[in-house]
Amino acid sequence: MADRQRVFISGMGIISAMGIGVDATLKALQRAATGIRPLTLFPCPFETPLPVGEVGDLPRVAVGLPRTHQLALAAVQEAMQDAETVPDMVIMGVTTGGMLSTERDLKQGRRIPRFSPYHAAGSVAGVLAEECGCRGPVMTVSTACSSGAVAIKLALEVLRQGGARTVLVGGADSLCRLTYYGFNSLQIVDRHGARPMDRDRQGMNVGEGAAMLLLTAAHQPPPRAVAEVLGGGLSCDAHHPAAPHPEGRGAYDAMAAALSDAGLPPLSIDYVNLHGTGTKENDLSEAVALRRIFKENLPPVSSVKGCFGHSLAASGVIEAVVAALCIREGFLPANVGWRHRDEAIGFCPLEAPRSQAVGKVLSNSFGFGGNNAVLVLGDAAPLSTAPSASDWRTLQVRSYACLTGAGGTAATLERFFRGASCKGTLAADRLTEGLPPRSVRRMKRLPRIALGLAARTLRRIEGVGPISDVYFGTAWGALSETHDFLDKLYATQEFFTSPIDFVGSVHNAPAGQIAMREGARGANVTMTGGDASFEQALTAARFLAAGGRQSVLVGGADEMHPIFSALFDRSVTMADTPSDGGGMLLLETAGEAAGLTLQPGFLAPVGNLGDSLEAAAAFHGGPDGINQRIGAIMVGIPAVCREEATPLLEAFRRRLGFEGPFIDYRRYVGEFGSASAVAAVIALALLERGSVPGPLAGGKEWALAGRGILLLGLGATLSTMLADSSGSVVRDSGGSYCRKTPFGEPIP
Amino acid sequence: MDDFIEELKVQIIETLALEDVTPQDIDPEGQLVGGDLGIDSIDVLELVMMVEKEYGVVIDSKELGAQVFASLKALGDYIRQVRSEGRAVG
Repeated sequence: MADRQRVFISGMGIISAMGIGVDATLKALQRAATGIRPLTLFPCPFETPLPVGEVGDLPRVAVGLPRTHQLALAAVQEAMQDAETVPDMVIMGVTTGGMLSTERDLKQGRRIPRFSPYHAAGSVAGVLAEECGCRGPVMTVSTACSSGAVAIKLALEVLRQGGARTVLVGGADSLCRLTYYGFNSLQIVDRHGARPMDRDRQGMNVGEGAAMLLLTAAHQPPPRAVAEVLGGGLSCDAHHPAAPHPEGRGAYDAMAAALSDAGLPPLSIDYVNLHGTGTKENDLSEAVALRRIFKENLPPVSSVKGCFGHSLAASGVIEAVVAALCIREGFLPANVGWRHRDEAIGFCPLEAPRSQAVGKVLSNSFGFGGNNAVLVLGDAAPLSTAPSASDWRTLQVRSYACLTGAGGTAATLERFFRGASCKGTLAADRLTEGLPPRSVRRMKRLPRIALGLAARTLRRIEGVGPISDVYFGTAWGALSETHDFLDKLYATQEFFTSPIDFVGSVHNAPAGQIAMREGARGANVTMTGGDASFEQALTAARFLAAGGRQSVLVGGADEMHPIFSALFDRSVTMADTPSDGGGMLLLETAGEAAGLTLQPGFLAPVGNLGDSLEAAAAFHGGPDGINQRIGAIMVGIPAVCREEATPLLEAFRRRLGFEGPFIDYRRYVGEFGSASAVAAVIALALLERGSVPGPLAGGKEWALAGRGILLLGLGATLSTMLADSSGSVVRDSGGSYCRKTPFGEPIP
Repeated sequence: MDDFIEELKVQIIETLALEDVTPQDIDPEGQLVGGDLGIDSIDVLELVMMVEKEYGVVIDSKELGAQVFASLKALGDYIRQVRSEGRAVG
């Protein structure tokens, strides 16, 4: 086993209300400036527009892209200006994505047929990967306000475990009506500008921006290393969809996990960059957690949200840049906006910038859904001893469930095995069968699918320990909540909104609901990236699920929305029957693979489909490896690429000389983003059965004979997953993700 | 029977999708939030929007909200008071 790699920041880029570029941001922080001003970006019917952290002069970097994408591109150009190589991987934290452009389209009454290729939160990372020529995995974390920090933790684990040598990681979000009116409807906007930790604080100000880090794995600091990412910790409050736990339970857990991950005691921390949004509840619960961690030895602390505003998914990365600047420059930023000590908080943040040497910084990010992420950054010092090696982790399947138009798992499998259609959309009350109606009354379609999947997955099995983590993939998120929020907003000339729909509109709301219901207080990570969103969730689980025997849920789902699905997903408009659903697995982390396993594999944007298929085949051991170890291939072909893909797949199959069944699963389950989650459940059921039924295998029952099933996903991303019933095969195949770079080359 | 209170009951049930609650279940003097009805702080914010949209009465702080939403009767009284003083908007 290779030594664990250290992870260094070797490039940074930033754009925000505090300025464009690292130098401008540093100067603004050093003079304790604020970028918070009344909104000018779009018209608003309020007498005085609410204060926001708006980017003044957005450089025109690309035409026709939404503002979030432009912000991210501007930050990438700076972060990559000295880079000598293309990053192996791109990981973004994004929550609103192309929402501002979508809002404008809806307002102007543009509907079908007008597709918004850049609406998806995951499309930002796709644009960045293209910009810098990255051909490796492209992933997007969407956990609301903690997205950027979670993205850094994911990148840290990928790099430590040898999944990549360099990762371009960042966060980006532009201002939009959804968040501007949404936070206002929660009555947590401070009209005088945010005053984090102040006795008289009245709330936060939404901001916008982007920050990017180029992270490099190495044993010793590489040239241009600004700082080292020493550790990260994730947790979930499992308490409330929007409000933090009053005692800061999740915040404490995440800080403790981050310190333990970095191998550092609280005393070694020189400065804490607070989440400190300025809301009464957030600041108080964060303070309680801080006092519990640091006791009498609280280091200097400050929140920079009175400078930047709260730039949502970007904030975790913006604050990581701030932390790196503190270390590089030897200064601490002021808690701009603070004036009066709050006795309930019990300490005072930094009133003015301070010059002092800074070795190690703790940086907090908390979000909706009780999603918490904490990072530890330090100076990039040479070390005489290498850190200990990471554990090898296998995800063993304990239980699974799916939902399709046919019904639950049994109904879906029964129809699928007969080669009959499972298309359609199940009635809302059937999705949550067995759950108390009152517990789901505020939920629209996607959270119902997600909760229904979790309940069904856990119902199938007895003796499960507490669920630790939840990983969830969704291509489009909660479309019903998002649509209804904007619809009500526009129907009332932008005067009225629904706070319930706002809280439910974030991509991570369904996974947060699962955590609340099941008491899952570990990592709670929602991934998004088109048709490979479930694959991303499985990959995130592979890298983030802690060692030891942990029970984690990994799922994927998408809802069919009559207006939005057709606007965003072209494959939906080509489907004969509107369909939705998803799949979920209960996995256990184990040292050795045994029993049923599902492993993530290849994940990369498709340039030329033929070349991508070859690369994926090589990843799984080429024709020999595949024929020896794979008994059946399940392929997901989104309708939009069916015409192009069909002849290429046929040629691919001939070249492999593969004789087993090729199961074209979207023909049975329908067109929706996370159809591959349903396919994964079906693959596991086929493995348990030991054979592929005749109707799916060209007429005659096909014995799997101990071989696994390869799940191949096409579309904008080519992805693979390997379902297997004998662990040793997975390890021998060379498909073990952690030993390879995304290109399948072993790390030297 | 107070027609306005009855109207508010229906509005609350519809706004919050309280499918298993009937108007008879809501005691005008009883605890509205955090009680048997399962109404919590996010529901209160949704009701704030409903009250402003339907009755032109603005409830713009949590402190005021806590008083106004103490019971259905308190809510009805507050809306009537603001309207009678001509302070309703829209």
